[in-house]
Amino acid sequence: MVQAAAWRWRSEVSNWNDFEWQLIHEAPRAPALHMALDEVITDAVAAGHRAPTLRVWEWAAPAVVIGRFQSLRNEVDEAAAARHGIDVVRRITGGGAMFIEPGNTITYSLSAPESLVQGMSFEQSYAFMDRWVLTALHSLGIDAWYQPLNDITSRSGKIAGAAQMRRGKAVLHHVTMAYDIDADKMLDVLRIGREKLSDKATQSANKRVDPLRSQTGLPREQVIARMIDTFRDLHGLHPDTVRADELQRAQQLVLEKFATPAWRALVT
Amino acid sequence: MRKHAEYKMPGGKLVVVDIAIDQGQLRDVAISGDFFLEPDTALTAINSALNGQPLTASMAELAAAVARKLPDEVRMYGIDADAIAMVVRRAMDQAEQADGAGSGMAMEE
Repeated sequence: MVQAAAWRWRSEVSNWNDFEWQLIHEAPRAPALHMALDEVITDAVAAGHRAPTLRVWEWAAPAVVIGRFQSLRNEVDEAAAARHGIDVVRRITGGGAMFIEPGNTITYSLSAPESLVQGMSFEQSYAFMDRWVLTALHSLGIDAWYQPLNDITSRSGKIAGAAQMRRGKAVLHHVTMAYDIDADKMLDVLRIGREKLSDKATQSANKRVDPLRSQTGLPREQVIARMIDTFRDLHGLHPDTVRADELQRAQQLVLEKFATPAWRALVT
Repeated sequence: MRKHAEYKMPGGKLVVVDIAIDQGQLRDVAISGDFFLEPDTALTAINSALNGQPLTASMAELAAAVARKLPDEVRMYGIDADAIAMVVRRAMDQAEQADGAGSGMAMEE
């Protein structure tokens, strides 16, 4: 906290290693609660109540997570989602729909002072926030790179999609990586139109993603462990938890916002 | 008459529009897509800039109308005023074709 106060006096621009990064990696949570925790934790960082935080998500249930500006009707076959028992939730960042099944995705959030990406273009700040992930993937033998605008990709296909937003004096950057994928179920639930694929190299939606399981041959937990170790080696990382007041605020936000039909259908 | 159009900005994101056309003007304009926009309230400004535009508006006029209503501090990624104008013009063109052919019902969403 002392350190967080000190950098503000020094300069408008900060570096990764100016901070005491905190790691939150806890038991599975409901999809809507994850949406709320991103908001609460990023606001806590913005207010100086919490040090910059890396949060690795564990999912308690399958979900389709749609972007802040996506049309619910246009993106999701709600009847199919209901048939598969899949929640549809809207997140606070822009970007595209994510199809989540517990154990099939690796999701993480970075909540940091805006100074970390001060003066950067969007394109620069996306690549910057995920540089440590590329280092981790390279160490696992995956030749991955950043594909603007917001993808991590490899020769054999897309690995991850990122979304970022500035919130007050903080930046939220979160990423969902495909570890494994049930492409048939995904295509049943998501509506992926022809126009969206029009300037992609591959025209088939289920060929666009190549998950980490087939690329590494490693269990999901080992991939996550390598990512966390890499971050710790590069920038330092201290074990932390969601605080009681943060959890309470997030649960309240689920009721007031993220679980409401009004938020879900904010863009119909 | 309701119309729907999509446009993938080259090197950018998908922009979608749903519109109603009433007495030669755009109504109930709803822009959506997988783009990034800050502040998020700028979406309302964009929709309201397009509401009431005549069917005769050119792409340049639509883009100018959007640009005028955007807050100074707006940040867009994967989308711009031209891409928005393009997708809206696409939806309007569908409406004009439907009108001209006298088969508007068949083209409706």
